[in-house]
Amino acid sequence: MQASAEPSYHALADTDAGWIDRRVYWDEQIYARELERVFARCWLLVGHECQVPNAHDFFTSYMGEDPVIVTRDEHGTLHCFLNMCRHRGNRVCRADSGNARSFLCSFHGWSYASDGSLDGVPGERNIYMGKLDTKALGLVKVAQLDTYKGLIFATFDPEAPSLREYLGDMAWYLDIMLDRRAGGTEFVQGTHKWMMPSNWKFPADNFVGDTYHGLTTHIAAMKSGFMGMPQRKVAYGYEGYQVNPGGGHGLGGRWAEEPAHYLEFALPEFVEYDRARLPEAEARLGAARAWKFAPIHGTVFPNMSLLFQSGMIRVWHPRGPGRSEVWSWCVVDKAAPEAIKREMMRHELQRHGPSGTWDTDDVDNWVQCTTSCTGAVSRRYANNLQMGLGNEETNPELRGALGKFNSENNQRGFYRQWAGLMSNEPWSGLAAGGAR
Amino acid sequence: MKPASIDLWHEVQQFLFREARLLDERRFDEWLALLADDIFYFMPILQNRHRHEADRESTRVGELGIFDEDRTSLANRIARLKTGMAWAEAPPSRTRHYVSNVEVEHTERDDELLVRSAMLVYRSHLEHDEEWFPGRREDVLRRVGDDWRIARRTITLDQTVLQAKGLSIFF
Repeated sequence: MQASAEPSYHALADTDAGWIDRRVYWDEQIYARELERVFARCWLLVGHECQVPNAHDFFTSYMGEDPVIVTRDEHGTLHCFLNMCRHRGNRVCRADSGNARSFLCSFHGWSYASDGSLDGVPGERNIYMGKLDTKALGLVKVAQLDTYKGLIFATFDPEAPSLREYLGDMAWYLDIMLDRRAGGTEFVQGTHKWMMPSNWKFPADNFVGDTYHGLTTHIAAMKSGFMGMPQRKVAYGYEGYQVNPGGGHGLGGRWAEEPAHYLEFALPEFVEYDRARLPEAEARLGAARAWKFAPIHGTVFPNMSLLFQSGMIRVWHPRGPGRSEVWSWCVVDKAAPEAIKREMMRHELQRHGPSGTWDTDDVDNWVQCTTSCTGAVSRRYANNLQMGLGNEETNPELRGALGKFNSENNQRGFYRQWAGLMSNEPWSGLAAGGAR
Repeated sequence: MKPASIDLWHEVQQFLFREARLLDERRFDEWLALLADDIFYFMPILQNRHRHEADRESTRVGELGIFDEDRTSLANRIARLKTGMAWAEAPPSRTRHYVSNVEVEHTERDDELLVRSAMLVYRSHLEHDEEWFPGRREDVLRRVGDDWRIARRTITLDQTVLQAKGLSIFF
């Protein structure tokens, strides 16, 4: 069979004109290349340091479709390696988390230490006659691992820029959630996991820049006691920004002229807590990030999304062009009172977990968008991302390229980064702060 | 605790079957009326753990759950469905709640029973989407006059990664 010529990814994702070819959501070959060129190159969120507080703690995660284990070894060092025995490829760990000094492959009994080294092979002397190069057969490590304010990221690409460089100005914005208080944040114990028959890019696109869908998609939740967003001036055209810090990342939030306005944005259940922590946040972050700009949603390219106020961080693991597996956590200030943590968690799961009154109304939109791509004629029509084209804003107190509160400039940035990676462009032009 | 009499067992089963029918017939307000004012409705997350850590298989109250509800939040969830714009249930899905393996025990309180049951919930959504929710429930039923009210319900689904688009129904 003749291999078909590769498409131009910048033509499929024509971000200058604001059109995205639906092929990017259904084509099996494009999906296979995404695993190589996006997920095996980018920094991906695998979890939080609080999930491995002690020596030999571990949890399992995914980087794209590659299963990985994250461990803390006896010296306290974090590791991340493929959850795959070097002998036949069997998974060496089948638990989601726990504490283990070693990982025993259930197939032939090869065992690996919590730093990934191969420390036991049955019959190494008698059967292999001492000829097996056990030093070279440790679990396959990621090329780079680093943390940002407690979040653990890893990449399989040795050429990738450092995590700080990769996040660029997105890190400056992530601080608004992760660094409001001394001690930072932690995940509440427990991970929401569920499957949805949607291409992973629909939710990533939704979180990177889509405030526009809120009043339609989430109208039922808003009308029934599940306000998940600031209450003030619920109308289109509200002041605020979509922020494109580069690198395919993006976030959107509201702008307040004075602290009282910021507190009007605050979720009603947490106004008092927000008021109480405001001086500390301002001392740590400055006024622009403590209260003037109040982000709501965001995506760290490619597949980590967050809701700043609801305390949610999640990953959309790709599972084929038409399926995604969601892993979602509740994030709280470590220093928050227990009652606030508990209330924050209930707030979060009632809106954004598998039973979330917000999330459940999102999912079918993404599912139907994915499904409609399969029709022979439907496929011919491109998705429209023209909102706010050419209408950029400026604000000297913020970083990145700004669009209006309702704008698709972040989605265009997301797909531009996607097209660049899919085109095998070098990191020099892809890192945050570069192409927007 | 001593098991209940066959009459009480029968009465409790009839209550659970009626409750299941109300959900399947989308009579959510009548279903809500079966819940005590102080209802605590909880669905933990299951996680794969090694055998020696099997007590951590399920998240606990205070940790992240899938449902962690009181009467107000359950009433709000019902109000949401009634808007007609809760898109996960518009048009509404079809459900069938199967309840079996019912065990009834007396508790230290004269007016409360501990009721364990197995459940299998089927959901058919739109044209092709089908979801199955196997699991178990542990309820505290409280005697109110001639009837019962559910004072506490813990639902444990037998899945770690939920094989469902989302849970927009009740269990």
